[in-house]
This record gives sequence, C-alpha cells and structure tokens, in this order.
Amino acid sequence: MQSLSKAEKSYIQVGLLSSPPSRSDGRSLLDYRSVALETGVAPLANGSARVNIGRNANQAGGGTEVVAASKLEVESIDDDGGVEGGRIVCTVSCSPSAYPHLSSGALDDIQQDMTTILHQTLAHPSLHPNNLSILPRKKSWLLNLDVLVLADAGNVYDALFIAARAALWDTKVPRTRSVEYKARKTTGTKPGGTGDMDVDEETPSGFDTRQIQNATDFELPDYWDEGEVLDGREKWPVCVTLNLVPPVHYLDATGQEEAATPLRLLLMFTFPPNGPADVQAMRMLGPGELKITQLKDLIVTGEKYAHDLYHSLNVKLKEEDVRRNQKARDRFEQHR
Amino acid sequence: MISFTSFPIQPDDIHNGWRAHHPDIAEDTLMDLDDEQELFEAGGSKLTYPGESLTSSQSYMRGHGTYVDNEEVIASVAGTVERVNKLVTVRAIRTRYNPEVGDLVVGRITEVQPRRWKVDANSRQDAVLMLSSVNLPGGVQRRKLESDELQMRTFFEEGDLLVAEVQAFFSDGAMSLHTRSLKYGKLRNGQLVSIPPILVRRLKSHFIALPCGVDLILGLNGYIWVSKHVKESDQEGEEGFDTEAVYSNQNDEIDESTRLAISRVTNIIRVLASRFVPLSDTLLLEAYEWTVDQEGGVKDLLQEDVGDALVATVTARL
Repeated sequence: MQSLSKAEKSYIQVGLLSSPPSRSDGRSLLDYRSVALETGVAPLANGSARVNIGRNANQAGGGTEVVAASKLEVESIDDDGGVEGGRIVCTVSCSPSAYPHLSSGALDDIQQDMTTILHQTLAHPSLHPNNLSILPRKKSWLLNLDVLVLADAGNVYDALFIAARAALWDTKVPRTRSVEYKARKTTGTKPGGTGDMDVDEETPSGFDTRQIQNATDFELPDYWDEGEVLDGREKWPVCVTLNLVPPVHYLDATGQEEAATPLRLLLMFTFPPNGPADVQAMRMLGPGELKITQLKDLIVTGEKYAHDLYHSLNVKLKEEDVRRNQKARDRFEQHR
Repeated sequence: MISFTSFPIQPDDIHNGWRAHHPDIAEDTLMDLDDEQELFEAGGSKLTYPGESLTSSQSYMRGHGTYVDNEEVIASVAGTVERVNKLVTVRAIRTRYNPEVGDLVVGRITEVQPRRWKVDANSRQDAVLMLSSVNLPGGVQRRKLESDELQMRTFFEEGDLLVAEVQAFFSDGAMSLHTRSLKYGKLRNGQLVSIPPILVRRLKSHFIALPCGVDLILGLNGYIWVSKHVKESDQEGEEGFDTEAVYSNQNDEIDESTRLAISRVTNIIRVLASRFVPLSDTLLLEAYEWTVDQEGGVKDLLQEDVGDALVATVTARL
C-alpha cells in the first residue's frame, strides 16, 4: 500500500463523505473502472486468464494486472499425498515490480496473505468439482491454480478472484480411459502368454465393481479437443471488496484510495444455478472497526454488487469462449 | 456499473499465412533506409529500437543509451537520437527522471534521518533535503537550532508531499533539494497525478493557475500536483510566514465545483499522458474548455473514444 500524506488522505475521505460524493477520477461510489479480460493466454496451461482493472487505453501499463493459470497433474493417492477425488491448490505470487517499495520479506507476507484467502475459499469442499478423479483409490488429478499479480493499482482481491474464476472456467480436464492387466486365457498355442497389456475396450458400468478394481493404470485417448470442462464451473465464487469509510462504502478503490480507507470488507459469493446466493467467505482488512448489525446490512448490499459482477463476468466469459472457437476455426482454415 | 472489455488484439504474425519477403530480404531493404544522413537529418522524429545499429564507431563516439559492438554504435534503449558534433546519444522515451540543477520537482518524503529527509522524486536514487535547506518557522534568516533537529517531523514527516528545487548533486549522483522560497514547501488541498517525466516540458513557470479555480504544479520529474487555487495575497508576505500555514496538514474547505474541476483536470492529464502528448499550460486550458463544452461528466473522459476525440481536437488546434 502506498504512503500518502495526511492532507491527501483527508482530501480523499472528505470527498467520499461529501454529498454528492466525489472521487479523485470522477467515478461515483459504485462505479468500477473498466475491466479487461482474456482467457486462454497460456498455451501450456489447462486453463488461463488475464485480467486488468483500470487499464490505460493506449498504453500497456496502468491498472491492476493479474494472470491466472491452472495446470493439472497426476497424483498417486497412497504415496504423494493425493486425495480420493482430487484436490485443488492455489498459489498467489506477486511480481516485485507490482510493489516496488516493499522489501522481499514484506512481499512474501503479502503473497502469503493472498494465497491463504484464495486457497481457503476455492479449495473449500462445497466447491469441489466431481471430475478430478482418475482411478478410484489409485490416481487423481491435482489442480494447481497459480495466480500472478503483475501490477497493483488498487482492488487486487477482486482482480484475483475474477482471474481465478475465469481460469477455472477455462480449465479442461483431459479424458482418461482405464487400463488393466489380464492374464491371457489362451492355453498352450502361444508361448509366454502370461501378462500382456490389454486395453479395456468396454465402457465401464457403474454397477460392475470388478472392472474398476482391476484397473491399474490409465491412458489418454487421442481426442479432438482438450477434454471436458471442470465440473460445476458455474459455482466458482466472485469477490467484491467494500471499502468502508463509515457511514459510506464504495467499490473498486484505486491504490491511493485504499491507502486512505481504514477498513475493507471482502465478500465472496457463489451463485448456484438454482437456489439463493451463498456467502462463501468473508474477510476484513485494515485497522477499522465494524458493528455486527452494520455487517449484516453490508452483506445484503454486497450480494447485490456481487450479482451484477457475476452476471457481467459470465457474459464476458461466454463471449471469450465464442471468440476462441472462432479463432481456432480460422487457424484451421488457414492451415488446411 | 461494471463493464468488461477485451485486450487489444495482438498481431500474431507467426500464424499469418504469408509474408511479403523472406525475413532476410526485409532486413536488407531496411538497411538501405538506415543511411547515416537520413538518420541524423530526421533529428528527434525518428525512434530507435534497442539493438538498432545507428552508425559506425570509427566516425562517431558513443554517448548515453548506446553501446559499441562490432565497430558499430548500437542503441540500447527505445528513444530519439541526438547528436552533438561527434557524440551520438539516445534519449530514452521511458526513463526515470534525470535531474538538472534549477529544476522544479514534486517529491514525497520517504525517510527522516539525522538533519536530513530522504525524498522520492522519481529519480534513480532518493533525493536529499537537508534541514539547512528548508525555511524554518520564525523568519527566513533564522539559524537552525538543536531543537529543530529534534522536531524534524513537525516540518515534514513520512509520506508528505513537497515542491522543491534541485540545488546541487552529491558525488554519487543523488540530488540535493531546497525549499528556501515561499513558493516551495509542503503541498495540500489537492491530489497527485504522475506521468512519464519526458512529457513535462521546461516552461517559463511551472506554477500554473487555470481560470477554473485550479492550481497546477508541473514537477519536471513527472509528478503533477493539482490543487485548489490559492490567492496570491494569501501566499506571499514575510509576516504571514508561520508554522501553521506552511507546515500544516489541514486542508482548507474545498467546495463541490472545485473538487469536480480538480478531478477533471486530473483526468485530462491522464488522458493526454496515455496518448503521449506533452503538457503545456495552453494545451491544458484548451482541453479543459473542450471538456466543459462537451457537457460530459468527469468520468466520461476515461472512455476511450472521448479521450481520442479530446486529443484529436486539442492537438489540431495548436
């Protein structure tokens, strides 16, 4: 967080509290800066996204920039700490150029804070996708979600969650087919028919437990796309940061505004396809205080903002899917 | 309330089906254009790219922003070529502020040390402001006392913004500042906006009062202070010099219209800087009048098309 003089802090606070409230760049309290989003930025990742809040229109610089990428890794359940059904590990790292005035120790602290919030929210059992297991009791997918903060111009937590949600939305899980070893039933005619590898051609039935138990390894069938989408991708939460300068709150603070705000409330909401919204996580940052009654009101209003954010993000993500399909088709045409 | 946009599309020439020439041929044609005469006659208008060969090292000397390899002077940064007699230099477009004695800068205190403050002035090193180079309360000519050393934080503390002049350089290249004038000192009643230092030109005066009730201090280091207008009479006067006024942290009462004007000027500066337009007082005034004529809100300026229109009209008029 950048340092501000007392005069600057009071200038910002008085502006927020005056009526009508005014902010340094003329936005109203609930306005976001423009958010640029792109998915599929890392070709080697299973899913990736890049987000920039408040980007300078003509220059590459300016704004809070976050890149997220997810990579799937196979884990054995017994020995390398794999869990039945797969697991998710989130890591946030901050580029030193995002916080040039911080020492490396302070940078580590910030990364740790962000990692904790992101991991605890996204790796929660209630959000766990169902298709991360490969072979029951033997192999599962480990989903590594790595998020990199390239620049911080305020409101980094919203950007983190937007990027994480977009990358997870974009994630494709490769299709797998189980392989088992069978003793050959033929007798005598062929020599050495003891344990040839044989690909299991039958589709496994859920009721046939013998087949599942026999499967010892898996293979990746050659398939035209990268796999199927992660299960339950509608559910990944969005975060809204309410910056509190009692009695008002505002959204999408710039770096300077953050430095002048005593308390920030992070609210993470999920919106299941059928059913009411859930508060998935909640954090308070900063030295300020809040009464429990005020908190309740803020959660209700926060849900409204999160709902708007969720819907526009969904629209954008679908647009990105269409755009990338189109691009892939064009490239195919060109190479044909 | 919230709107998502896309990043601009990168031209991906790897997958562009065909090229006009083989890459080597393209390079050859460029080489022909890179005639020495043309390079220097174009003067400041041509931009170099890092690694671009400028001239032969046998007939020219390498200056800042260049290096010699294979008997050729090669640019090490993106910038404009300048030549003084046989010395070839490249002035980088994006760089930290290179101070010169007499420059007006806006800086922020980062550290309080014995008898000196460290000031961030967007330069490569922090600048130094000595206790002996500030105006002490109780008369301009007063000597500094031991008690002043003990209460340095009552004058400037960490995070405070100030406007000062570059006084001299230390042997390691760090600049020494001074605020020994009534125009200089602590800043309040406004907000800071920072732009690339190359966009601030040297002007007759870097204190600009716009008629909309906004004062501007264009620091040559790219830090610009936008604040409420202070009347000349309040600013001047030897008797009026007291601690409360000069080293105060309290803002004055600022009314709604002034706040809006400050935000508008700040946004105009951001828009101009993002299109790489150098600032001057006339330009800012033109831009301000244009935005008021358009009757748009302050935040509309941050939209891309409005910004483009602003820059197009303003640069066409000058």
